[in-house]
Amino acid sequence: MNEQRESTDGTPPASGSTCEVNERWSDGVVVIAVSGVVDMITAPQLEEAIKSALAKTPTGLVVDLSDVEFLASAGMGVLVATHDDAPDGIDIHLVAEGPATSRPLKLVGIADIVPLHATLDEALAALSS
Amino acid sequence: MIDSMSAPFLGRTAAYADRFERIGVIADPDSVARVREEFASWLGEFFEFGANRASDAVLAIYEALANTAEFAYLSAGRPGTVDVKASHDPVESSLTVTVADRGLWRTAAPTPGDRSRGRGIALMKALADRSSIQTSTGGTLVRLYWARVHPAGTSRH
Repeated sequence: MNEQRESTDGTPPASGSTCEVNERWSDGVVVIAVSGVVDMITAPQLEEAIKSALAKTPTGLVVDLSDVEFLASAGMGVLVATHDDAPDGIDIHLVAEGPATSRPLKLVGIADIVPLHATLDEALAALSS
Repeated sequence: MIDSMSAPFLGRTAAYADRFERIGVIADPDSVARVREEFASWLGEFFEFGANRASDAVLAIYEALANTAEFAYLSAGRPGTVDVKASHDPVESSLTVTVADRGLWRTAAPTPGDRSRGRGIALMKALADRSSIQTSTGGTLVRLYWARVHPAGTSRH
């Protein structure tokens, strides 16, 4: 089970709110790679993907937002809830860099709650240390 | 330029160099997502705002709209409408956006201990240079303001 495409969503293309979530594993750590729009329409899709990954008892979880073009508070809420609800011993890390993602995450203090990294390599290094 | 994005839309639309209006937008998640995209296109086409601040403005407007779509018309049981007006003041070089609905906002803080919700208002405040939220029995008016917004091609870096 190396790579698994969870889903693309079924919202009408007219809204443009499409989000793709992919799950892959690396030495027991699961990476949830998200692309597209994470807004009030697509945030539940991200939440489901994270829950499903956590159910497989990873040693750590990285949410990689590198390819997210728009991140709203609905998505930020999912990230904080993931951190707060994660089973003991599973560290949650974020990857984001840019005006649409790392900037608002820092502005409202989420980067102070969930460790935020500029690159996936940094996040994986932090988890293995 | 004639607005080419007048997709199926129940309200009036306008997008000129100094003005963006969407009146009577259905306050549901799909419609507000569409307005966000149209607003982002308008900003990108007519202004030099810098990547950070353009991104800030788009997110702030979305949060105002999302709050309406999520909460304003809860008690009504079906979505009402929301009006978005953005205007550029060439003298002041400022951008003012208003988002007005006729519903009741959830203004209370999120449940204690629940850190996962209720960041929309904090985001709006952090993202805009100035912001205000007026609530009354008639509805809610969000006003967002950015200084130093210059029309495309006139940047004074």
